[in-house]
Amino acid sequence: MAKKDKEDDEFRPTGTMAVMAIFVIVLIAIWATIYMILVGRGGTL
Amino acid sequence: MSAQKMHIDPYERNWMIFSAVMLVLFATAVSVAAFGMGIQVPAPEQRVDPRTVATDPNSPWSNPGLREISPGKYDAYILAHAIPSWEYLPKEITVPVGSRVTFYVTSSDVQHGFKIQDTNANFMVLPGQVSKLTVTFDKPGTYNFICTEYCGSGHGVMYGAIIVTP
Repeated sequence: MAKKDKEDDEFRPTGTMAVMAIFVIVLIAIWATIYMILVGRGGTL
Repeated sequence: MSAQKMHIDPYERNWMIFSAVMLVLFATAVSVAAFGMGIQVPAPEQRVDPRTVATDPNSPWSNPGLREISPGKYDAYILAHAIPSWEYLPKEITVPVGSRVTFYVTSSDVQHGFKIQDTNANFMVLPGQVSKLTVTFDKPGTYNFICTEYCGSGHGVMYGAIIVTP
């Protein structure tokens, strides 16, 4: 039992972190692209 | 009574911190664009009577079109309607490059949209309300404007153009 607890404590969700990293990179890339288009088109005041 | 320390998984804690940082960054970016660069959404300018806005001689939309208010600055009064046909009046506007045009757009019947391509101008046109937005045209060319709110069977042919001459 003690060995299993130790394994649980050291568990690293590598796959989940990889998926989340991809999600974050895509989110930032899409957001930044649209933001740059918005800024490039100039003001509306 | 003893104080209890709440356990938070390190991954959850890091994700919460990251989410908070992202929210702050996005809010900052939007604020800079809105207040630093003047990219804002239109606000209702005034109320009008949609039944008479196109016929009342005192209404600028009874004679829609472009007015030069000072060199390089224009007011454009645009009327959108679906009756008798789906169109904007005027359908075409010509200004020199560098012009700063303030659009005053309203509808005499149903709701429409007004989006000028390749600019940040994109707003609803509601009967009884005047939508106002200013755009500076720094590059010559033809900027089409289209209806972006479904307004009936002729919605797809409801468009116009702003011609910016060199």
